[in-house]
Order: sequence, then C-alpha cells, then structure tokens
Amino acid sequence: MTPAHEHGAARPTDPIARILLIEDDASIAAEVVDELKTRGYDVRHENTGRKGLDEGRSRKYDLMIVDRMLPELDGLSVIEALREQNITVPVLVLSALSAVDDRVSGLKAGGDDYLTKPFAMEELAARLEALMRRPNDSRATMIHVGPLSMDLIERRVTRDGRDVELLPREFRLLEYMMRRPGTVLTRTMLLEDVWNYRFIPQTNLVDVHIGKLRRKVDGPGEAPLIHSIRGAGFSLRVPG
Amino acid sequence: MFQADLFRTATFRLTLAFVVAIISGMLLQFALVYVQMNGYELERSNDLLQREAALLVRETPEQLEYEVRERSKTDLRVILNGAALFDLDHNMIVGDIKTWPQGLTLASRPQRVWIDPPGDRAYEMRFLAMEVLGPPGSDHRILVLARSMHMADELRYITKRAALISVVPIVVFALLAGIFLSHRALGRVKEMHEAIDLIMDGDVHERLPAGREQDDLERLAGSVNRMLDRLEHLLDEIRNVGNDIAHDLRTPLARVRARLERAAATPHDAEYLNATIAQATLDLDQCFSIITALLRIGEIENGRRRAGFAQMDLSALIADIADLYEPIAETEGISLAVHGINQPITLYGDVDLLNEVLANLIDNAIKFTPAGGSVSVAAGAHDDGKIWLKVTDTGIGIPEDEREAVVGRFYRSDKSRHVPGSGLGLSLVSAILRLHGATLQIMANREDMKMPGSVFSVLFPAVSHNDISVTFG
Repeated sequence: MTPAHEHGAARPTDPIARILLIEDDASIAAEVVDELKTRGYDVRHENTGRKGLDEGRSRKYDLMIVDRMLPELDGLSVIEALREQNITVPVLVLSALSAVDDRVSGLKAGGDDYLTKPFAMEELAARLEALMRRPNDSRATMIHVGPLSMDLIERRVTRDGRDVELLPREFRLLEYMMRRPGTVLTRTMLLEDVWNYRFIPQTNLVDVHIGKLRRKVDGPGEAPLIHSIRGAGFSLRVPG
Repeated sequence: MFQADLFRTATFRLTLAFVVAIISGMLLQFALVYVQMNGYELERSNDLLQREAALLVRETPEQLEYEVRERSKTDLRVILNGAALFDLDHNMIVGDIKTWPQGLTLASRPQRVWIDPPGDRAYEMRFLAMEVLGPPGSDHRILVLARSMHMADELRYITKRAALISVVPIVVFALLAGIFLSHRALGRVKEMHEAIDLIMDGDVHERLPAGREQDDLERLAGSVNRMLDRLEHLLDEIRNVGNDIAHDLRTPLARVRARLERAAATPHDAEYLNATIAQATLDLDQCFSIITALLRIGEIENGRRRAGFAQMDLSALIADIADLYEPIAETEGISLAVHGINQPITLYGDVDLLNEVLANLIDNAIKFTPAGGSVSVAAGAHDDGKIWLKVTDTGIGIPEDEREAVVGRFYRSDKSRHVPGSGLGLSLVSAILRLHGATLQIMANREDMKMPGSVFSVLFPAVSHNDISVTFG
C-alpha cells in the first residue's frame, strides 16, 4: 500500500528507465533504491564518487542521482567529469546543504536539478520523472493538452473552444503545467520554477493558486484536468 | 626570565625610542646654540675690527705709526691680535704682521685669510686692510688689522663638552624611568594574564582589572570587559535558544511517538494506519522546518551569503510577492494592497533573501489579521538615498514589551502558539536584514485595543558607490 500504487499512470515510459544512484549514506541509498524499484525503475547503486564515475562512463543511463559529498571524488567533480566526456544524462544533485549558493554551484557544475536532504520520496520521484520527460518544445507558439489550447503569442487559453480568462500569474502556472502533462509537479517545483522561489513558505500558497486556476480551467460539468496527488503535488492530466 | 620579559615590554621599547629622541633633540639644540653663538662672535669680530680701524684712520700718519708700533708691543691683544702698516707694494713698514697675508685685498669689510706659516699648522684669521695717509710727501700706506678666531674655536669646544656631559645623566635617567614604568606595566599585564587564564578555564564571569579606565591599558581592559559582557550575553542567549529548540522539537516528536505507539499496540485497519503515518509525517516535517530554518539563520548570520548581492529592483520584488500572496489574502478575506512601487527602487542586496523577508512579513501579516482586515505593503526612497519598506496590517498586533523579543531566535508570542510555523520567520527576517545593514522597527498600527495591528518598518542603507562597483567589478 505504498503511495506509488495510487498513481501508476505516472510510471516511466517503456522500456524500463535505468537510474544510477551515487550515494555514500547506506540507509538513504537503501530507501531510495527500494522506492525507485517499487516505482518500476532499474536502479544501480554505487557508494563512492570514483566507482560511480566509472559506472556512469561504462554504461548508458537514463538518469543519475548524485550526492554532493562523496568519498574519493565529490559529486560535483563526478558531474563535471561526465560532462567533459559529453555524457549528457540528466543529473539530480542531492545535498545535505541548503545554501542557495550551493544549489547554484551544483547547477553550474552540470546538474539539472537540486534536492536538499531530507526530502520526501514523493518529491524525489516527481523530480526524476520531470527530468526524464523533458518539457515540450518551448519554441512552439501553441501548446495543446487534450481539450486545452494555449496561444503563447496572443496569451489566450481555450478549452474546447471556450475562452478561459486567466490572470498573468495563472497563465504562467498553466503554461508550466501544460509543458509537462501527466507529470507530477510538487509544490516545491512549482514555487521554484514558476515563482523563482528558493525557500519554502509555511502556508499553503501553491494550493490556493492551483485552486483558483482549477476553478477556471475545469468548468462545471467538465472532466477535471488538474489533479491533486496526495502527499506529492499536482498534475495536469487528460482523462482516459 | 623576568628580566628578558622586561626588555620585551612595549613600554621599555617605547622608553628606548624616547631616549634616542631626547638625545637627538639635545644634540640638535646644542648645534643650534653653537651656530647662533658662532655667528654672533663673527659679527662681533667684524664690528671690533671696523671700529678700531675707524679710530686709527683718523690719526696723523706719525701718530698712527707710533700707535701701531706701541700696540704691537703693549696691547694685551684682547681685541686686536695683530696690527701693521704696509706700503702700497705690500712691504711692512711697522707692526707685528711680518708679511702681507696672501689673498688680502683692500676692502671696507674684514676678510678671512688662511695663514700658513712654514713649519707650523695653518690657521685662519680675520684681517681688515684699508688705505691711510702716509707721512707728508710720501705715498699712502695700508693699515692692516688682524683678529684671531680663537673665540670661535673655544666656543665650539665648550659646546661639544657641554653636550657630552649632559647626555650621560639624561640617558641614565630615561633608562631608569623606562625600567620602572615597564616593570609596572608588566605587573599589570601579568594580572590581566591571570584573569584571562581564569576566563579560559571556564570562569566566564571573571573580568580584567580595568580600574577607573584612566589610561590606555585600563581603557583596553575596559573594552575587553565589555566584549566579554557581550559574549556572555550571547552565550546565555545561545543556551536559551538551545533549550527552546529542544522544547519546540520535543512537542511534535512526542506526538509522533505517542501516535506510532498507539498504532502499533492494537490492530487497526489500513485506513487508520495510513492516517497515522500521514500525521506523523506532518509532525516530522514541522521538526525539519524548524531545523532547516535554524540552519539557514546560522548560515545567514555567518555572513557567507554576500556572494549573491547585486543591484536589484525592490518594486519588482514587491510586485512579484504581492502577486504570489494575493490569492491567499483573498481566500482569507483580507485585502492586500501595494503602494509606491510604480517606479523602480534600486537596492543593493540578495534577491532570494529579500524575497524571503517580504514573504515572511506578508505571510505573518496575513496569518495574524482576521478576515475583513487589510494588509498593505509600501516602499520608497528618502531624500538621503535610504530606502524604506513598510508592511502594515490590522491584525492582533504585538505587545510593546514583546517587540524586541519577536525578532530574536525562536520567540513566539503566546498569542501565536496555535498558528503553525517554525516560529523562526521573524528571526530569519532580522538575520537577513542585519546582513543587508538594514534596520527593522516594529510599531503598533493604530489606536485600537483589540486589533492594534502592526507596522514592520524596514530601513535600508543608501546604495553606495562602492556597492555598485562591486556589482560590476
């Protein structure tokens, strides 16, 4: 009865995605490996930077999770070494340090996303999924998700031809969601990416914004597109 | 050992420097006196020669010849050391200057001429040569008067000796004074060392002997004591914070434990267990939020975050945050208004951190304001370039005696115990503002006993030229 079974629809696309975890803390590694296996990923774990780098070079992975502090070779050096060899696998950096500067240096080194310990498994899973499903081509001027259409030039949104009047902030939020249909988006991801927030406020800010957006997007009698995923976040998903 | 210490004291070194200075000063003074006196003596010599010559010139040639002859025999040679009459070809007629001094010319002013007698040392004399009438029927003659430089030589000798004699006692006296003073200073420093040793051994209440802070050493001790007072105060604060943290963490942890225990003790259905797990996770999240906030405060207070400083626009920041919080204010039935941000307000700071300040202030204002109330955010620049920011609400307010405490670590008014949060929001705010060199003032908003509201007034320093060059440099 893990929460993973509640939203099997968010399962990675076939063939089974292969993930390399480089983490020296044995208990965290065990938890992550367990969780990811339950979610249907093929996970391999290495506990030092050196071994992780060798493994990352020798086989093709769909994604890597790299801890910042590692014995032998630290996480940022591992990522830099991979990037030097043009290995473009998406990398999620894990760190016990919360400093924003630290996050910046992690991303600068070639990481694609950054997660601070302790983290919820749901948060980790959502971010992995988002990393593997790169957002839709951002050069397109029209985005379509099911009955929803977004015109980025006219700044107009319609659902089955019905105009959806949105405030600028709602438009930005919906655009972010429409570029990642079917993906679980956590509150933290939304705050970080839509509002450029680097810290987590105490209040249920995101819920309120999503609530307002949902009332406009999902009109009375229409099938809901914006879903709440308990314990994880939100997702824009076309039913059926 | 003590001896060696003595010579190493600052006072002793200062004494040595002082002695050198005194000797230099003294020598300079003697040199000056010598130069003055020498000049005076030369002036006097010239004067005497000229006066004497003036007297002699007025006499008849016969009288003059007689005078010169007699003078060379009888004069005690106090004023004139030589006198002679020469003919125009520089041959001596009468007197005690046997040969014409080399280089001497007729002039109204006395001249210095070196005399180099064979078989003796050369010496300098002052001569005055002037034409006088000869006996009737013969040519003019030249009167030569001479005066030795012995007075000047003596002067030089006397000054030298006086200088040497007076240096010795002065040096001895200064050294003795230096040793005495250093000895005293060393004794006081020793007392301070003992006090410091006590403090290092853990007696944080010990203080250095500062007396009445009358001299520099005592004033230094006074400053150190004040520093120790501050440190002791901080230590107490940290100790209290430690207790507060323990207390605030204990409560949710105790709840988690009780819940898990109950769930484990009796068989329950899956739904109950899930709810228990969810609640436990929430409680643990609160613990984490407290720990995270504490770490962040520590990080900010360490001042390591200035790396993110740059020129930024406060107006845009306020607009963004207001945009983020507007929906939540709306659902709480509170009006959120923004004033004075129509034009950019340039500030030198860290966008992410100031974001956090604004968010915390607005979040708090909304939290503690009942439905129907209002929250407003305003900002602007004073004439002197300082930038102000005000977040005003019509909420429950903060009692005057609690206003200072709320910005301290972990303070939560009893009124806010039921409101969720780490209780560290305002501590974070004040830590970030301190990092920006800004001040935070908390006031009541209005005269209303029940809902006085609060004004959080922030004043940022003016953007200085330095900051800008750092930004682009």
